[in-house]
Parts: sequence; structure tokens; C-alpha cells
Amino acid sequence: MAENAHHSEEMWVFPPAREVTEFVTQKTFSMPGALTLAIVGSGALLVLGVIGFIMKAAQAGFSDHSPWGYYAAMFSFVFMVTSTGPLAAAAFRITKSHWRRPLSRVSEIFGIVGVFNILLYIPLAIVLPSLNNPEIVGHELDVRRSIWFEGPIGSPFWWDLFGIIFLAVNAVALLWVSALPDMAEARQKATGARRAIYGMLAGCWHGTKRQWVIQKGILALLGAWYFMLLIFIHFTISSDYAQSLIPGWKDSIFPVLYSLNGFQAALGLILIVMFILRRFGGYREYIGISPFWSASKLLLAFTLLWAYHMFAFGITFWYGRLEVEQNIMKYLLFESYGGVFAANFLFTFVTPFLILLWNPVRKTDWGPALAGASALIGAFLFNIRIFVGSFNAGHLYGEFLDTVPPPVYPGLSDILMVIGGIGGAAFVYLLATRLIPVISLWELKEGLLYQRMGTFIRGRYLILAKPE
Amino acid sequence: MQEGRVLPASVVNRDLLSSILTSPRWFWFALLVLGLIVLGGFSAAGLMVNKGLGVTGLNRPVMWGFFIVNFVFWIGISHAGVMLSAILRLSKAEWRRPATRAAEVLTVFSLMTAMLMPLIHTGRPWRLVYWIYTIPFIPYDFARGIWPNIRSPLVWDPSAVYTYLTSSILFVLVALIPDMAVLRDRTTGIPHKIYAAMSMGWQGNPRQWKLQIIAGVLLSALILPVFVSVHSIVSWDFGMAVAVKSWHSTIFAPYFVVGAVHSGVSAVAFVMIILRWIYGWQDYIRHEHIDALGRLLIVVATGWFYFFVMEVIFGFYGREADEIAVRELQFTKPPWNLWFMFFTGLTYFLPVAMWLASSWRRNLWLMSIACISVNIGMWLERFLIIVPGLAQKQLFTFSWYTYAPSAVEITIIGATFALVAMLMILFARVLPLIPLYDIKEGEILKTEIRIGRRIVPATFRED
Repeated sequence: MAENAHHSEEMWVFPPAREVTEFVTQKTFSMPGALTLAIVGSGALLVLGVIGFIMKAAQAGFSDHSPWGYYAAMFSFVFMVTSTGPLAAAAFRITKSHWRRPLSRVSEIFGIVGVFNILLYIPLAIVLPSLNNPEIVGHELDVRRSIWFEGPIGSPFWWDLFGIIFLAVNAVALLWVSALPDMAEARQKATGARRAIYGMLAGCWHGTKRQWVIQKGILALLGAWYFMLLIFIHFTISSDYAQSLIPGWKDSIFPVLYSLNGFQAALGLILIVMFILRRFGGYREYIGISPFWSASKLLLAFTLLWAYHMFAFGITFWYGRLEVEQNIMKYLLFESYGGVFAANFLFTFVTPFLILLWNPVRKTDWGPALAGASALIGAFLFNIRIFVGSFNAGHLYGEFLDTVPPPVYPGLSDILMVIGGIGGAAFVYLLATRLIPVISLWELKEGLLYQRMGTFIRGRYLILAKPE
Repeated sequence: MQEGRVLPASVVNRDLLSSILTSPRWFWFALLVLGLIVLGGFSAAGLMVNKGLGVTGLNRPVMWGFFIVNFVFWIGISHAGVMLSAILRLSKAEWRRPATRAAEVLTVFSLMTAMLMPLIHTGRPWRLVYWIYTIPFIPYDFARGIWPNIRSPLVWDPSAVYTYLTSSILFVLVALIPDMAVLRDRTTGIPHKIYAAMSMGWQGNPRQWKLQIIAGVLLSALILPVFVSVHSIVSWDFGMAVAVKSWHSTIFAPYFVVGAVHSGVSAVAFVMIILRWIYGWQDYIRHEHIDALGRLLIVVATGWFYFFVMEVIFGFYGREADEIAVRELQFTKPPWNLWFMFFTGLTYFLPVAMWLASSWRRNLWLMSIACISVNIGMWLERFLIIVPGLAQKQLFTFSWYTYAPSAVEITIIGATFALVAMLMILFARVLPLIPLYDIKEGEILKTEIRIGRRIVPATFRED
């Protein structure tokens, strides 16, 4: 133990347990000007997105998938980040990490955006080309390469759609079960219609010992199930909408890379939301530096893992010297989308790595949030590079990519759809925070029981209880 | 309440140094048995050197067999050291304390054993000198224009493994300094002189502790990339070979690394159970530690299974006839399909099913079975990656062939297990296999707090 080590003032915060409910529910019920502006602004972006979508549908229709590359990239970005969000709460709850408590609800609320993701996905289900080649020419394949192989009924369209629906239902269930005790608390404080809504959502929760045991068991089960389902859906989406659209692209590490990008960007987004809540939302007494510090180490780990997996992909393709692999590298990494890849690498790896390398920076709220913002931009560029590239590789049923297609730049409708999709996700999230407290009241109060400061020799240190 | 009893420093010294300061009778017997097996292995290797590789089952096209499988297996076991020691040290997991030293030492010995394998596999190990040095008066290979191809992963391999071995030895030595000082103060004569030299003037003053902690943290952070690179490069021995179907896969590097951690951590859990049993360290290696390892292993095993599934799915995804043929061999043709079922069952389904229940994780017999099962399964995994691919490497089916190991190979492989076990008990005879200072630090940081009517175990966080 370092000699005379003291914790920084704001590393751990211990708000008075009696005031937690009062403060957080009041915050949830209030509607400050900045928040109103954010909701209106994101709503306006969503409207722009809808206009862009109508423009694109009128121009290109739904018969060919190629013009929808930017839409697919936007969907994948929003889906990748928001569907991974709830995992933070579920995973850190299972690992019993005390520092998770202030960020649990921030991450769980992303589950609501899952419903928006279902709507976003529907046009993609329509434009995705069939597995079967309708007009075989020359050496083309009769069934294109796909993770569905010979294609069970409805694949890939219905299976992907069902997957996204199940994931959204699971995420909402996770949020609901987790928020039950808080809804019951809010039911006592609210009046009018709000009280009726909370009453309905809280059901018959009275906080009996049996209810707590059941709630924790269900949370663990839902969390574990959500994790497995998420990884599976990442695999299907990344394969069906990216890999299988580029002939000859056989890359077993890609689904892993996609999930890792999702973990990194989702954690980055959670840190940004936490930063905003702490600095501008009035939650300074409730969100210490500890969650930033601990999450930043994980963010650093994801950053390094992303680079490692990217390298493993790159060196295997580069060393193999197969023409198809060389062409795919030229297309997605070095020539057509070389600039986007360079920016992707800069924002996903270089910048977060250089920020998070330093412990004093990790022990701030702005450092991890900044790295998170960089990771988020990187994830956006990753999706642009991969999905725009995949949707425009042409030659869908070819044996392999024998030429390097040129890059495709966005039109006005593409830009509108991209900002509309992102704005729509933000709109749904912000609306949800008006109903569901952004801090998990019961988890925070539970944490106050398990953590306290104590004197050890000459310093004050955190004492962490391990009840199980 | 805390698990286990309160352990004063004097009791820790007495208990953990008992393996060094006293010699139980079983030690000499075990040493003799293990020594004989190792001798048998060296004799078999000697026979092979004398008669040539013809005494093995290696033949075209399967030129990599048991030796290379065993090489990958021991490299995998070596990953336990860093996983448990460096990562858990950096993440400040309290339960790591009794496990770190055994894991680090297992790393060193398994790496040494692993490096014997390619050497034996060459058939004429002395020719290694041609690969490494330019010796003008022995210009045999160079005269034929045979030069090491530095662009081959087979050349990257020794570089990575030796870097890992060097840094692992350094890692063990830095962590050993305070314990060697304790031994210096409790021995006389030549042992005292050796321990005094190795403890490098350790007095346990605040500056020395600070430096030792910083060195430990720095080495933990620096060794991580080396740890990842080692098995990645081993995987690229296979992954870079486009000619062997089922090998050229982008996921091989992380798949091998996670598999290595899976087998390595299982091996450490098993070693800890054995240490607890033979040295009576029930107060140090407690059920809670084995339980924590079991929980960690569920995560690692599931991660490994995910990579395995990806590797298999994308094997079929390509729809390439020659790769499908290899997969058909693995999945449908006896005995390969039986081995495949054993492998998946032993590596994932059986152990994970056993680890799911807390009471099973705390049952040392069941944990031992689960850990051994993982390691048998992981050995089979390497066998099933290497041999079927090579057996059907050639373009024409009449060139396909299979492989059956000879008695010489089996003897040598068996001897490597005995060698590692022998080195471990020899190490325990001269140095503590559980770090004294780490246990003492853990005892100091332990506390309890009252929550309502319950007394709950707690710890002071170090930062």
C-alpha cells in the first residue's frame, strides 16, 4: 500500500441515504430548459431523418440494396451502441462491481432505444437481397455465401428481425425488473397521471425479502441471457449485412471485432452521459470519480483488444497473399475506404489509447468521457467503412472480389438519414429519462451500506464489504 | 464472517516454509518416480535421435504430430501465469493472493518444456545452431543455400517464447525477493548464502517495498502484450499457412489465446488443489479461492466456446470443397468424430456444467475432475486442429493419409508431464509456492463491517 495514500475528495461519494429518493425523483419529475432544448433538438433531427428516408425511397426504391449503404451504416451504428448499452449494467451486476451503481440505470435505459431499433431495421429487411441468385451468369454462385448456408425458412430476413425484437424485449424487461423498486418509490412521490403510470409499472412491488430475492435472480438470468443473445445478434447482423455482401470475404474474426467495437462505443457513450449528468445535470453528489476510473480501465482494455483483433485480421489476410483477401484489404482498408479506415483507427485506437494510458487522466471525469467520445466517433466511422463498402461491393453472387470497387460518397438524403437515425435514438433516450430515474435508487442505497471510509494506519481508505 | 482463520505473520512463515525447511518422505518417493519417467522420456528421445524420425508416426503428409500438439499445449498452460498474476494483480482481485506464485512458476516450467518439443521434433536438435548462428567453420546448411526465413512465423515463435520466458522469470524473481529474505533469515550455511545473494540485500524498508510494488505493477503491464503475442504467434504458425485447409483463419490468434488461458487457469486450479492436499495448506488455499477460479473459468470457457463456434462456422461458410472435406473428417468420420465429441464435451460442456453450481465449485474432487477434463480436452483440441488439416493437405485424395503416434512419441509426451511436475515439487523444496508477503498483506487488509444485524467481511482497498 502506498505510504500515506489518501483518496481524492471526489473518488467515492456518499450521499445521505435518506435524501437519495427525494433528490432523484425530483430531478426526474423536473424539466429544465437545457433538457427541453435537447429533446426538441433531437426530435427535429428525427424529423429530418424521416424526410431523408422519404427522399431516398422516392429516388432509389427498395428493389436494390446498394443505395441504402449509409442507412445500413447508421442503423448498425445506432444498434451496435444502444443494444450493447444495457450490457454494462447486467455484466457489472453479475461481477458484483460496486463502482457500477451510479451507471447501471444510465446503461439500462438504452434498452428502450431497442424499440426504435426495430423500426429502423424494417427497411433493411426489405432491401437485403435474397440468398438465392435469381439469374445465374457464368461462374456465379447459385446461393451466395451466408451464415444461413442453404437458408432455412425466412432466412436471413425473419431471423434477423426476430433477433432484434427479442433483444429489445429482453432489454426492456431488464430495465423494468431493475427499475421496479424505484417505480414503487416514485409512486409514493408522484401525483396525477404520473402516479398512475408509476403505479402500473411498479405492480405489486412492496419490497418484501422474497420480492428482492426474486428480483435479483431474474436480473442475473436476464443479464446472462441478454449477453448471449446480444453476441448472437451482433454475429447475424454483422454477417448478413456486411460480410456476406462482399463476395469471398471469409473472416471469422469480424463478428468478434464488431462486438468489441460495440462494447467500446457503448461504454464510451455511457461515460459521456455520466459526464453530462455529473457536470451539468446536478448529480455531482451522486456520481463520484470511481465509476469513471474503473470504467476507463475497461475502455482501455476494449481499445487494446480492438487493435489486437484488427491486427490479427490484417496480418492473416496480408500474409496469405490470396488475391481475394488482398482485394478486400485494398477495398476496406487501404484504397477505396483508406481515408475512413485511417480516421477509424485514429478515433477507435490511437486517441483513446493515448488518453487512457495516463492514470491521472483516468482519475478524472473528463478524460474517460473524452476517450469515450473518440471511441464513439471511431465506431461510427467503422460502420460507414464496413456497411457502405459492403452494400456497394457489387457482384453479389460472385466467387470472389476480383476488382476493387470505388468508394461511395453520401448524398443529401444519406446525410439526413444518418443524423435523423442518431437524433431519433437520442430523442427516445431523453424521453425515457423523464419517466425513469437515471440513477438506480435501490442500487445506490445498497452501495451505501457496503462501502464506507475507514482509517488504516495514517490514511483514510475505502472499506468494501463482500456480503456474498 | 471471513472464511478461514486469522493468520499471524509467524504462522504464515511457519506454514508456508514447511515445504522448504522440512522434507516429507513422499517428496523423495515422488521425485524418484517422476525422475524415472523423465529419464524414460529422454531415453526415448535419444533413441529417436539415434534411429531417426522413422521411429515416430510422422509421415507425409502429416509431418506435425504429437510433438507439435504438445508444444502448443504447454505454451497454452504457460498462459496461466500472466492471466492470474498480472491481470488479477492489476485488477486488485483479493482472491489472487495464494494463486499467483504457483501460476507464475507453472508458466516458467511449462514454457521450458514447450521449447523442448520443437527441438525434439527436428530429429537432429544440434542443427538448431544453424538456424540461430552464422558459424563459419560449420557452413553445412549455408553451403546448400538454406537460410532461416525471417518472414516465417516459425522464426517469430522462438523470439516471442524466449521473450515471454525471460520476462516471466524476471516476474517470478521480483515477486520472490521479500520471501527469499525471509528464507535467508531462517537458514544457515550454503543455503543461507544463496538466499542472501538472491534476496539482494532486502531489508523490507519502505523504499524497497515501494520499488518492489512499482516493479511488480510495471512488469505486470509490460508482460501482458508479450503474453498475448506468444500464443498469437503460435497460432500464426498455422493461420499463415494457406495451403492447409482449416488453418487459414483470422480468428486463430484470439481463439488460441483464450484457449490457452482456459487450459492454463484450469491447470493452476488443479495445481492449487494438489498443493493444498500435499502440504496441508487448507488455511491458505481455501474453498473461496477455488470457487473464484471456478467462476472465472466459466467466463473464460464461454469466451473460448464462442471463438470455437466462430472458427467452425466460418470453416463451412467459405463453401470450399477441400475445407469442407477436412471438416467432414473432423465431424463425421470415426475416430475423428468421436475425438471431436470428447473434445467439446471435456473442454466445455462437462466442466462448465460442473462449475455452474457453487457447491460443486467448492468440492475439490469435482473441481479437480473438471480441471483435468479441460486439459485433456484442450490437448485434444490442438490435436484435432493440427492433424486432420495436414492429413488432407494435398490436392489429390490419393495423397491423403492419416497419423498414429508411436510408443516413442507417447513416452516423450508422458515424460513432459512428469518433467513439469518434478520441476514444480523441486521448486517447492527450495522456494515458497505461495507468496508469504502477499498473504500477509491480505491478512492486514482484511476487516469486517456491521450491516444491520450482520457482520460482513470487508477489505481495505489499496487505492
